[in-house]
Amino acid sequence: MNSAKILNAHAGKVGRGVLTAPWPWAMSWPGALRTARPTIIVAVALLVVLTGHARISVVTLPDRDTVQLTIYNSADLTLVKETRHLTFKKGINKLEFSWANTLIDPTSLELRPLTHADEVEVQDVSFPARVTNTLEWRINSEFAGDVVVEIRYFTSGISWSADYVAEASRDERLMDFSGAVRVTNNSGEDYENAQVRLVVGVIRLVQEIADLARAGKPGMPTTHALRHEAAGPVPAAKAMRAFGAMMEADKLAENRPREIVREGVSEYFMYTVEGRDTIPNGWSKRLPSFKTPAVPITSYYKFEKERWGDRVMRYYQFTNSLANKLGREPLPNGDVKAFRFVSDDSLYAFVGRTSVKYIPINEFVELELGNDLEVSVKPVLMDWQKTELQFNQNGNVIGWTTKETWEIEVQNSKDIPVVLDIRRNFSGDWTLTTQAKYENVDRTKVKFVVPLAPRAKQKFSYELVTRHGTNATR
Amino acid sequence: MKRILCLAIAGVLAGSAAHARVKLVALPERARVVVSLNNPDATLVEEERLITLQKGVNKVDFSWRGVNIDGTSIQVRALSHPNDVKVLNTSYPPNENALVWEISSPAAQEERVRISYLLSGLTREVTYRAVAEPNEKSMTLRNYLRLHNNSGEDLTDAEVSVGYGSSFKKTIAHEEVLEMLSERIADLPIRKVLTWDSASLPWDPEYQKSTVGIPLSYVVTNDKPSKLGLHTMLPGKVRIFIKTKDQPLQEGEQASEGVAFTGEDWAQLTPVDREMKLFIGQSRDVKVTQRKTKDDKTNLRRNNQNNIVLHDTDEIYKVEIENFKKEPVNLTVVEHVPGYWKMIENSHAAQFRKKDAFTFEYNLTLPAESNGDKKTTVTFNLTRLNVQGNEPSSF
Repeated sequence: MNSAKILNAHAGKVGRGVLTAPWPWAMSWPGALRTARPTIIVAVALLVVLTGHARISVVTLPDRDTVQLTIYNSADLTLVKETRHLTFKKGINKLEFSWANTLIDPTSLELRPLTHADEVEVQDVSFPARVTNTLEWRINSEFAGDVVVEIRYFTSGISWSADYVAEASRDERLMDFSGAVRVTNNSGEDYENAQVRLVVGVIRLVQEIADLARAGKPGMPTTHALRHEAAGPVPAAKAMRAFGAMMEADKLAENRPREIVREGVSEYFMYTVEGRDTIPNGWSKRLPSFKTPAVPITSYYKFEKERWGDRVMRYYQFTNSLANKLGREPLPNGDVKAFRFVSDDSLYAFVGRTSVKYIPINEFVELELGNDLEVSVKPVLMDWQKTELQFNQNGNVIGWTTKETWEIEVQNSKDIPVVLDIRRNFSGDWTLTTQAKYENVDRTKVKFVVPLAPRAKQKFSYELVTRHGTNATR
Repeated sequence: MKRILCLAIAGVLAGSAAHARVKLVALPERARVVVSLNNPDATLVEEERLITLQKGVNKVDFSWRGVNIDGTSIQVRALSHPNDVKVLNTSYPPNENALVWEISSPAAQEERVRISYLLSGLTREVTYRAVAEPNEKSMTLRNYLRLHNNSGEDLTDAEVSVGYGSSFKKTIAHEEVLEMLSERIADLPIRKVLTWDSASLPWDPEYQKSTVGIPLSYVVTNDKPSKLGLHTMLPGKVRIFIKTKDQPLQEGEQASEGVAFTGEDWAQLTPVDREMKLFIGQSRDVKVTQRKTKDDKTNLRRNNQNNIVLHDTDEIYKVEIENFKKEPVNLTVVEHVPGYWKMIENSHAAQFRKKDAFTFEYNLTLPAESNGDKKTTVTFNLTRLNVQGNEPSSF
């Protein structure tokens, strides 16, 4: 069900209209098509009205030999590269390409010969009047015979995303970390046996590909399209047939999960999925990308009243490094689901879900997994004093100093040890005095890191002196 | 609504390309269902099924209808041959709640697989029922787990775990609410406490039209001596009853044992070693009268316009407490003082406890019938320092 079709509808001497057929494949065309082009257009118009399907759907045309999809995750953009075998005659060859009901950007279409490149030249491209989603390449060939051409274009509607599963050990010191990529095709076109490449990185687009695609031809006003919206819902019968094709393709698949080859390109990272995939329109497909057992993690808990109120948030921390059995590639942003093994036969407890940002190699990662009621932090102001009052010439108070005594009670109700990170924010000219170990995060924030044994309770305190008004020196 | 959750294996299906996804294969029954309710945000279901795999690539179709499954959470794990049986990929058809796994197997064999997914609509609720002994020193606490199944899925013989204790096997149908006893603790010590808070109760009952009731609570400690202390107690409604002697209905019959309802409260989340305080009603047999007998401003500091800009205070309070009950009563008196203050004199230093910078309390035990001349009188003299009128009263 290719709806992007090439129609080698040209002819030499009579200009548009008559099909001369010196090409073997053309001989097999249904007779009705060997008429003048206006007839074809009429027939096509009828088809559109009747079925709403692809503009030309009855013609057997040069098939794609190869398709490569380069899918970006930061924009609704996929670069499609396909090769086709065409038969040229000497002189001007006209080649019609149409793509009704797809989301192809007409301004992006390019054709170049891969064989006989010296003898074949694209003279110009015409987007015919009163027709959208169609172009005609006029190609001057000094060679008669079989030529392999490459056609490149952008389409919107194909997206990919990464997702991860973290399976923590019972003591939450190690995790099995696995990643997968999921490709979703809502482009309106079935791409069969395609090589799939996935790009991680942020590219700039000054116009949305989907808007350009909706315009139908270059220079037409663009309407704002809904992202990832294909040309309507996929008819069930069509999806079925496409799935059949997918099944056929997959029969060739090997008996093992496929490799994903990784390489860095400029500021981007590219994953090439080994082998070929067929992703029919409307479908999505998820492929395992990696699985790394026994990655060391820290079960880390954070408390910061200003951010989460009284709740204590749970994190799994790890580093995307070789030392931690990862670090061979940056990890694309995606959703993470975290589980913990709770029984000898590997039953799960659901820990939480979150999304991660793009993680470069050697980056330290924190998976925020929601609040945990089993770890509690309770700060209590135990004493408040106001002293060192200063007065101005009029006798009014212009300076004073407060001293606060705080007690922080922490409790781990879990049967595994945890590390707690308690952050306190102070404003103004303050001085902190405490027996507890702490570090300054910045001028207004300190952090106490408290390791807690299973089922342990602890209390620590600090004194905060703050100078106000004229007492303040910073 | 018809609910379907099915798993179909279509090993031979690939051949008839045009009619793919015709599920004419045996539907494997669930061999085991485990429901984990330990995370309040989401319910995890794990089910095990025995499927027969052919050598090579098998298609396993998993679909659901009318079931609130988070489709992105579905995972499958091979249990019998975890190293050899591999999930190659997962395909998601358009406009359908379904997915197709491609699973490769090195041999024709039976495989036990575990399918995990997050299910919404299956929620839990904890409720407590307690029956106190007539002396109010102990009670029997029963902890119930109430499951509400609006997930669309019927769970049969599911092993349900709540994150503590052992799991239990239950069958719960869609739209069914199932309540079960999860814990029963007999002879759980309780402490009965009345709390008089100066911020919320009138100081002088003489000026009140009706009797001032003093909030009454039972305090339970989540620790080993209380036969608890194994896990955090979850929030839920607590209904408290007290044992009574029912009068015989007919002459000559023995008095039977009955219960009376004494009140209910929402229990707060209570970690191990913490107290759960349940406010269940009011006591009218204890009378508290608080009066301020001195409130002087001292160390006045004036500005050039002769306005007071700073001062200290000298404050004396007297709290008179009468117990009309025939038993001793625990009473906590709560006092609030804003800003910077110091206690100068205090009649009950041993019972005094500073709770935080702006709150202190007296934890008193009132003797039986300590009223009239035998009433308990607490006095304290405090000074507030460097008062400007903008002192904090909470943190």
